[in-house]
Amino acid sequence: MSPAKWDVVVIGAGPGGLAASIAADKAGASVCLVEREARPGGILKQCIHDGFGLVRFGRKLTGPEYAFLDIEEVKGRGIKLFTETFLLDLDRSEEGFVLTLQNSEEAVFRLEAKALVAATGCRERTARQVFIHGQRPAGVYTAGTVQRLINISGYLPGKNCVILGSGDIGLIMARRLTLEGAKVLGVYEIKPEPSGLTRNIVQCLEDYNIPLHLSTTVTEVHGTERLEGVTVCRVDENMRPLPGSEEYVPCDTLVLSVGLIPENDILHPLGVEIDPRTGGPVVDQLLATSEAGLFSCGNALHVNDLVDYVSESGEIAGASAARHALGDYRPPRHVPILAKGEILYAVPQRLDVSLGGQGILYFRAARTLTDAALVISAGGRVLGEKKYKSLRPPEMERIVLDLSLVPAGEENIVLELRG
Amino acid sequence: MAKKLKSVIKELRKFGLTGVCPREWRSSIVLEGEVDSWQEYIAAGYAAAGKGYKGVVNDLRVPGLEPLKEYLPPGRGGALAGKSYDVVIIGGGVIGCAVARELTRWDLRVALLEKEDDVAKQTSSRNNGMIHPGLAAPTGSKKHSYNIRGNRMYTQVSQELGFEFHRCGSVVMLEKSFYRLALPYVRRKALKKGVDGLEILSRQEVSRREPNATDRQRGGIFLPSTGVVAPYMVTVAYAENAVENGAEVHLNTAVLGFEMEGDRIVGVRTNQGVLRARVVINAAGVWADNIAGYANDRFFSIHGRKGTIAIVDKALGSTQSAVLAMPQLGVNTHTKGGGLNPTVEGNLLLGPTAIEVPQREDWSTTAGEMELLLSRHLSLNRRLRPRDIITYFAGVRACTFEEDFIIEPSEYVANLVHAAGIQSPGLASAPAIAEDVAAMTVEILKKTREVKRNPAFNPVRRLTPQLAKLSLAERAEVIRKNPAYGKIVCRCEVISEGEIVAAIHSPVPAATVDAVKRRVRAGMGRCQGGFCTPALLEIVARETSRSPGDVTKGRPGSRMLAEETKAGGKTG
Repeated sequence: MSPAKWDVVVIGAGPGGLAASIAADKAGASVCLVEREARPGGILKQCIHDGFGLVRFGRKLTGPEYAFLDIEEVKGRGIKLFTETFLLDLDRSEEGFVLTLQNSEEAVFRLEAKALVAATGCRERTARQVFIHGQRPAGVYTAGTVQRLINISGYLPGKNCVILGSGDIGLIMARRLTLEGAKVLGVYEIKPEPSGLTRNIVQCLEDYNIPLHLSTTVTEVHGTERLEGVTVCRVDENMRPLPGSEEYVPCDTLVLSVGLIPENDILHPLGVEIDPRTGGPVVDQLLATSEAGLFSCGNALHVNDLVDYVSESGEIAGASAARHALGDYRPPRHVPILAKGEILYAVPQRLDVSLGGQGILYFRAARTLTDAALVISAGGRVLGEKKYKSLRPPEMERIVLDLSLVPAGEENIVLELRG
Repeated sequence: MAKKLKSVIKELRKFGLTGVCPREWRSSIVLEGEVDSWQEYIAAGYAAAGKGYKGVVNDLRVPGLEPLKEYLPPGRGGALAGKSYDVVIIGGGVIGCAVARELTRWDLRVALLEKEDDVAKQTSSRNNGMIHPGLAAPTGSKKHSYNIRGNRMYTQVSQELGFEFHRCGSVVMLEKSFYRLALPYVRRKALKKGVDGLEILSRQEVSRREPNATDRQRGGIFLPSTGVVAPYMVTVAYAENAVENGAEVHLNTAVLGFEMEGDRIVGVRTNQGVLRARVVINAAGVWADNIAGYANDRFFSIHGRKGTIAIVDKALGSTQSAVLAMPQLGVNTHTKGGGLNPTVEGNLLLGPTAIEVPQREDWSTTAGEMELLLSRHLSLNRRLRPRDIITYFAGVRACTFEEDFIIEPSEYVANLVHAAGIQSPGLASAPAIAEDVAAMTVEILKKTREVKRNPAFNPVRRLTPQLAKLSLAERAEVIRKNPAYGKIVCRCEVISEGEIVAAIHSPVPAATVDAVKRRVRAGMGRCQGGFCTPALLEIVARETSRSPGDVTKGRPGSRMLAEETKAGGKTG
C-alpha cells in the first residue's frame, strides 16, 4: 500500500501542534496531526487550574478549556487526527519526509509529508537527574506525574508532601495537593530565588501558608518501601550543600519540580542542529530548523512559561511549514543572533534576512535584573531598544523586530542585555 | 597449637587486632571477641583467610554498629504448610533460578522460595550484567573454572531462554606506556587460564576499535569473549523456563529455620508454614551464611560489598562498542573496579564501585560514590558528560573472606547443597554453577531413590512478542492479532500495552510496577516512568483485579497511591 501523502504532518497534538495544524490548514495545505495519547490537548488536559489564554484569548481559561477551543477548530476544519498513534521512525524522502507509525487500528503504516512540524513538547527532569541519593522507595514523583494522578486518574499519591523546586508545576501542585486534603510541608528551592512565576508564588503558596525555603535542597530520601522522610540541606552560593545544615523532614511523598527538558529525540537520526542552551533545535524566525522542511515549536523548541506563546510558535511553524510544502521556497540568507551580556538564551538563534517583515524574538534573562536595557544592533547600528524595570529568568520576554531595518550584508545581529 | 592457627594469630597481631579470639571449629576458623570498628571487623576477617582453613566465620562484635537488618515479608499463612518437595531452593537470584531450571531436566518436584516480591530483587538485578572473560579470577579458584565454563555456555543458554546476550568484547586500556611490558605475561596467563582470543592492542589500535576512548590510554588488550546481558532478564528467563517445566516459584516466602533430624533437614520453616524437602539448596545470596547456620553448618561468613552503578542515556549508546576499562594498579584488589559497559538495551553503564558495607540490604547511593563513578569511569569515553546520566542504583555483593564461591554439598548435613559466596563473576558463572549444583542434588537424591529424566523438559522458553525485536511486517502482524500491541505505553523504551499485559500474566507473574519494569523495561528510559507510571498503575490494577491504590512499586508496603481524590478515582 502506498503511503498517504500530506503537505504537512504535525507530530504532537498539544497546544503547539494544534495551533500549527490550524495555521497550516488556514494557509491552504493538507494537514495531518499525529498524537500518541488517546486524546489531543497534550499536558493541558491535566492542567485544570486557570490562568491560560490571557494573551491569546484575552480571558482566563483552564487548561482543558484552552485546549478545547483549538480542538474544536481542528475538528471543524476537518483536519485529520490520528490518536494513540506512535511514531516509530522518521526519515527523509525525495519529496520531504516519510514517517513510520503504529496504532491499534492500522497496525503499522506510513505517511509522507512535504513539510513537518515537530511539536513534541518536553519531559520532566527526574530525582536522579538532580542527584538525590538514598534508597528507591515509592512516593517520589515528578510534579507532572502527580498532576496526572490527581486530575486524571483521580488518586492522591500521598498525604504529607515535600516539594523540591519552585517551578510553576511544583507551585501549582502545592495548591492542588492542599485542596485535596494533603499536607504540603514546604517547597524547597536550591536557588536563592523562586523559579516560578510571581503570581504562582502568591496564589499557590502564600494564600495557603505553605512555606518556601530558598537556597535549600533535598539531598537524600529515606525509607525502603514507602518514602518516610527526606534530608533537606541549605546550600552555599554555588549551590553546594552546607555540611551541618541537614535537617530531617518526615513525609510520605516527594514531588519534584526541577526543570523541563525539550523532547527532540525523534530528530536525533536526522542530525538536526540542537542549541545546547535551549535543548531545542536551532531555528530562524520561521521556526525552520537546520533540516529543510522541518519546523519546531512549543516546548520542544524551548521551554515556555505561558501556553499562549506555545500556541503562537505553533502558528508560526504551521504557517511556515505550509508555505514550504506549497512550494514557496527561497534559499534563506541566515544571519546569526549573538546573545550577549545577561541573556540566558534567545530564540530564534538566527534570522533569515531575505524575508523582510517582522520577526518575533523570545529571550530570558540569565539572572534577576532591575532597570535592565536590551539593545538589538547590527554592524553598530541600533535596530531596537527596550528598557525593563525588572527581569526574572522564569519570565520569558517577547519582542518584535522589524527585519527591514537589518542592513544588507551584516554578518550577525547582536542582542545585548545589560543589568 | 596448629601451625595455621598460629599464623592467624600472628596476622591479627600484625594489624593490632588484639581483641580478637580465634577458635577452630570443624575445619573452619571462628573469630570471636570485640573490635572497635567495621573496618577492623573486615580486616580481621581477611587476616584469618587464606591460612588453610575451609572458611572464616567472623562473629566479632562491633560496639555501636547498627544491628544487621534483614527484610522479612509481612504476613504469615499456611499456604505451604505440609507441602512436600524433592528439592527446595532458597533464593530467587540468578543462581537459585538457574538451579531450578537445571533441576527440571529431572522428574522432580522443585520449589524455589524467595522472600522478596519478585525474583532478581537483590544482587541479581543490581550488577553491571557483565559476562567476564575469566582473566581476573585467580587460577585454580572456583571463580576461575566456573567463569570460563559459564562464559562459554552463555551463547547456547541465551538462545534457549531467549534473552539478549551481546558478546561485545572488552578493551582493557593501560594508563602508562610501561605497563605494556607486562602484556606478554598477561597473554601467557590468559592462554593458561583458557581465556579465549586475547589480542594485544597498540594505542592506535585501541583508538581504531573505540574512537571515543579516552586520550589517556596507552594501548591495552582486547578480550573478545567478554559479553553483556541484562542480569534481571537472565534471572527471569531461567525462572520462567523452570516454571514452564514444572517448578514452583513462591514469592514473599522467607525461610526462618530448619527442622533437623540427626544430620538431615526434614522441614523448612517459612512464614507460609513448614514444608518438607528431600534436598535443600542454599542460594540465599547475602544471607547464605544465616541459612547455613539454621542447619548448624555456618562454616563461612558473608559480608556485603556495595557497588554503585550509573546508566547513560541511549542517545550515547552508539559511541562505544566494547566494554572499556582502565584498571588502576594498587587500588582495591577485590574487584576489577568496574568500567564502562554497553548494555543489551543500548544504554551505557558505569561502574560498579566497591566498598565494604555492614548492612547487606542497604542499596542507598551516596554523593561520594557517585563522584567516584563519574571521575573514574565517565572519562573513559570522551563523548560522555554527567548530564547524560539518567539514573543510578547500588547493589551489594555477597562476599566471603576467602573471596571464592562455595559450591558443594554440605560436609555435615546430608541433604544440603551450598551455592554461596556468589559475587563477581557470579553472573558469568551462573549457567555452569547451576549445572553442577543440580548434579550434586541429583547425586544426593539418588542415594535413596531412583531419579528419572523429565521427558517433557523443554529447554526453550516460550516467548511472547517483543516489538523491538520484530521487523515492521512482523510487528504489524502481532498488532493485527492483538490490538493491545498497537498501543505504546512507555514512550521512551517504546513498550506496548500488549507486552506489559503479557508480563503480568507470564509464568512468574509480574504483580508490581517494578516487576513489570524488570521484564519489559517500561519506565526504564530517560523519563524514568514520569509519563507511563499512571498508565502502568492502571494496567497492573486492571490485570490483577485490584484497585490502583493497592498496587505497589515493589515489596508489600510500597504502595504508590494514598487514596482516591475527592472527585473519586477512575480506572482505565
